[in-house]
Amino acid sequence: MSVADRVPLPDATLPLAGLVVAVACWWAVTVAFAVPPFLLPSPAAVLARLVGNPELYLTNAVETLRKILVGGAAGVTAGFTLAVLVTTIPLLRRALYPYLVAARVLPKIAVAPVFLIYFGVGFETAVLFVALVVFFPVVVGTAAGLSRTPDAHLDLLRSVDADPLRTFLSVRLPHALPDVFAGLKQAVTLSVVGAVVAEWILSNDGLGALILAASENVQVDVMLAALAVLLPIGLGLYGGVLLCQRAVTWG
Amino acid sequence: MIHAENLSVSYDDVDALADVDLDVDEGEFVTVVGPSGCGKTTLLRTIGGLQEPTTGTVTVDGDPPEVAQSAARLGFVFQDHTLLPWKSAVENVTFLRRMAGKDPDPAGARDLLTTTGLDGFEDARPSELSGGMKQRVAIARAVHLGADVLLMDEPFGELDEITRDEMGVEILRLWRKNRKTVVFVTHSVPEAVFLGDRCLVVAADGDADPAANGSPGRIVAEFDIDLSRPRDESVFGSETFGAQVARVRGALHGDT
Ligand SMILES: Nc1ncnc2c1ncn2[C@@H]1O[C@H](COP(=O)(O)OP(=O)(O)O)[C@@H](O)[C@H]1O
Ligand SMILES: [Mg+2]
Repeated sequence: MSVADRVPLPDATLPLAGLVVAVACWWAVTVAFAVPPFLLPSPAAVLARLVGNPELYLTNAVETLRKILVGGAAGVTAGFTLAVLVTTIPLLRRALYPYLVAARVLPKIAVAPVFLIYFGVGFETAVLFVALVVFFPVVVGTAAGLSRTPDAHLDLLRSVDADPLRTFLSVRLPHALPDVFAGLKQAVTLSVVGAVVAEWILSNDGLGALILAASENVQVDVMLAALAVLLPIGLGLYGGVLLCQRAVTWG
Repeated sequence: MIHAENLSVSYDDVDALADVDLDVDEGEFVTVVGPSGCGKTTLLRTIGGLQEPTTGTVTVDGDPPEVAQSAARLGFVFQDHTLLPWKSAVENVTFLRRMAGKDPDPAGARDLLTTTGLDGFEDARPSELSGGMKQRVAIARAVHLGADVLLMDEPFGELDEITRDEMGVEILRLWRKNRKTVVFVTHSVPEAVFLGDRCLVVAADGDADPAANGSPGRIVAEFDIDLSRPRDESVFGSETFGAQVARVRGALHGDT
């Protein structure tokens, strides 16, 4: 695999049609079988919730997005930096890399209660948790990519005594990009999960907290409205990563 | 220009090369021929400073190879083209010069691609080029670097025989134009004879006998090639050429 792999943006027509059909079915079911709204509210009821109090959903969405962006940026920076260190210093690689790979199977959600004890409830704790969740796929993907530079290319650069920074930017990093982006795509998905979990356990605001509170009050319409806001956030972030990948790779 | 004395190279569990003494004059085209595994690549990498010798010394123009590397005086062409897949032909040519920290010369790179027969392919990616074209780009890259020593490791080893002959003629044309010192490694005897002013035969003692494998390669014979220059395809049919090839073959197979 090389940077050659052009990443196509998926054609949106069919998926959109699918969404319309799904919502229509949902609506038809709620109407046809007269499902009680506390079990399954109709799409109209959910929409009414959103339109009725847009500020509630907007402020919580902004809170969630802030956690994702700040935590994501921190996790990506830390993961990328450690990957560079681990692939540049062989000793560090042998000491750390097995644990970085192994740590991926550990469910990070299990760490959240530990964070609660150490850092308490708050924005910073939630951000830290998102960063932790994002960190692992980024460090593993980037390290794998940076190890993929063909020896022959490194020899070529050594033959003109190219400095390490040039070598890194012109050869090692481009060779690594497909793996870096594979890691980033995993990270972006996990960051949304991480933010919601953090808002259940480590913080009292955001869409995650809203969903939890609505669940306690059996307000399924509020829960669905919050999910409807969360979905485009996740999709938008994923699309952003795809666009970045398209911008830095070639066809 | 290149001077090697008492050179030997051992890897962890193999002695690859032993007792190599070598002098290459400025502007000379020296070919190194031998069976695979006899240490040709090791020799070239050691001359170019990519491999530390176990004993002995190498100098390029009086300096250790590391100094020659820093001054961008060494132009490697490997068997594998080592082009960067995300860069166009011309970007691949200019890339190495940039990495060496020399002034960019994009116009020169384009001219060079034209003279190497890649007119119209300057902006093509390696994936759009044939094997022969990729090697042309790799050669242009080494020349554009401005190196005065070209170290070529079976650059045509993966090409079909017809393309290979054409490339041989072209490399000679290029060499006439920019008189470089060339060390050219090959496992093809005709190629070694056709290209070289001088041909070094490398072999390991056990080459004829696979059981004795593990003995290091040495320079077992050396021939001046008496073929007039400039040479082109017509040389292949000549009697002198055939005789020279036969002599080198003889040395390879242990006759003296
Ligand atoms: N990096 C290396 N580590 C260990 N052994 C090597 C290495 N490179 C080459 N060798 C061994 O050294 C010998 C000579 O190899 P090489 O110089 O590549 O020969 P040639 O280019 O003539 O085929 C072979 O036995 C090969 O297996
Ligand atoms: Mg070889």
